Amino acid sequence: MQMEVSGDAVAQIVQSIFTTMLDLEVSPADVPWLAGGDRLTSSVYFEGDWNGAVSLECSRRQACYFAGKFLSMDPPEEVDDDVRDVLGELANIIGGNIKSVIAKDVRLSMPSVIDGSNYELRICGSERADKSAFHSAEGPFWVTIAGKDRAAGKSVP
Amino acid sequence: MDILIVDDSRTMRIILQRAIRQAGYRGLTVEEAENGVQALERLHGKQPKLILSDWNMPEMSGLDLLREVRAVQNDVPFGFVTSEVSAEMKELAMRSGANFMLSKPFTPDDIQDALAPILN
Repeated sequence: MQMEVSGDAVAQIVQSIFTTMLDLEVSPADVPWLAGGDRLTSSVYFEGDWNGAVSLECSRRQACYFAGKFLSMDPPEEVDDDVRDVLGELANIIGGNIKSVIAKDVRLSMPSVIDGSNYELRICGSERADKSAFHSAEGPFWVTIAGKDRAAGKSVP
Repeated sequence: MDILIVDDSRTMRIILQRAIRQAGYRGLTVEEAENGVQALERLHGKQPKLILSDWNMPEMSGLDLLREVRAVQNDVPFGFVTSEVSAEMKELAMRSGANFMLSKPFTPDDIQDALAPILN
């Protein structure tokens, strides 16, 4: 059973989703993760042969920009329910596509969105988190895959 | 009602409606539901030409909705639009009576290819 998700696979999935659903070119970037600050994090969680989560993290401005592109309208000026819904849906689509390459018997949760400042998201039981940075016209954002193979007690990748 | 869209994401329901129009299907009456339970309520006494449903939803999943619909001998065309598509899920969907399974992300062309055999 394939449990590994390479950085190239993550990049390909993220780029395909943003190009197709948002008509937005994004590219892998070498941008260090900066904790703190106002931002949003949307996540979906996996349970089964592989336990973990996929998270999408970005600034509030970036989230509004994504919502505008997703809905083909001017970006909302403030984070609202539609912005959170779009960010959750993006995590859901990324997670669904990641799921197709990690394991057969894995259930995907509903997406959740954290909207706040100076927080840190930790996935219980995860031994490793692989964070990939991307760049769009509105700056960087990050996609994180954290998890552990339940049967083997092995972390990902 | 011509099409019933079932998805817990409001913005995804908007995107699907837009994709249907972009695929050339204009003037159709589209109704929405947030989950399978709400979809069954919308279907009461109505027979749409097509149901487009997400797979993973609260209250009642898309697969359970499909099973409920088929359990009352309703043969309305039913398609899944979902972020997670595996061979096993596709087989389960088809065995349960689905007409097609479309994965997210999708383009208007993907929607057109899926809907054409049913709506044309």
